Amino acid sequence: MADSSSTIEPLSDGKQPPSSFKQPLNDNTSNYLIQVSNTLPSHHEIQQFLTASNCGAISTFTGITRDNFAGKKVTALSYEGYTPMAIKELTNLCRDAHVKYPNVARMVAVHILGDCPVGEASVVVGSSSPHRREAIACTEYLIDELKGRVPIWKKEIYEGDEESVWKENVEWKDGRRRRVMVKEES
Amino acid sequence: MATITIKILFFASAREAAGGITSANLELDADGADTQVLRAKLAAQYPKLAPLVQDEENLTLALNEEYVDMGEVKTLSSGDTVALIPPISGG
Repeated sequence: MADSSSTIEPLSDGKQPPSSFKQPLNDNTSNYLIQVSNTLPSHHEIQQFLTASNCGAISTFTGITRDNFAGKKVTALSYEGYTPMAIKELTNLCRDAHVKYPNVARMVAVHILGDCPVGEASVVVGSSSPHRREAIACTEYLIDELKGRVPIWKKEIYEGDEESVWKENVEWKDGRRRRVMVKEES
Repeated sequence: MATITIKILFFASAREAAGGITSANLELDADGADTQVLRAKLAAQYPKLAPLVQDEENLTLALNEEYVDMGEVKTLSSGDTVALIPPISGG
């Protein structure tokens, strides 16, 4: 199965894509697969959701639990979320992404809650678009913004007597500063 | 004096600092009830939470599922839900 793949096409020469590829801005949330729960949809389900007849590109990002942090052996991660607000923020995030990347047809943003063993996926984001650049850029935007604004917390559990630690995303503090700046400007 | 009831939700390190509770109802004087007063009240009620809840750099509030921006003070009404949001770490 082709992950982060796309149809091969000539590099953009800066011209607008043919108008037939322009989708009207579609704010229909049925084009978003959003989930915050103890299980993630399968890779197949995600690819299937993202598949659209006018799209030649699907791009996905999967975050997986690493087995180490700063020389300590990580045995598991435990996620906690403010579920209704997380779903609301993910929906807003997809809407913002749609404004930024209007040709994107579908988006996925799913996050696990509870224990996530090493080597397992904790988060998947993805998007589909007629051509690859927009989907790849949109997917990167989705994961960066998710880390900066969706109320979910991760505790790293280490091997032995090492005390577990609540992690902090650098994107969170950057995001808070940015939100205040945007407000002051407007 | 009239009081209002606010529902508080505790997450992650804030939940642990409050002794592991996930939610609580808190009464505030209706007069002048805002997020700043709420922070002070939470600090008094949960001493271990005090350093976190009084530090806006490290603890954000969400009022009815919307972030309260840094430097902003929001008026509270009866029935509001306020979540204590330590730095997030999803992904």
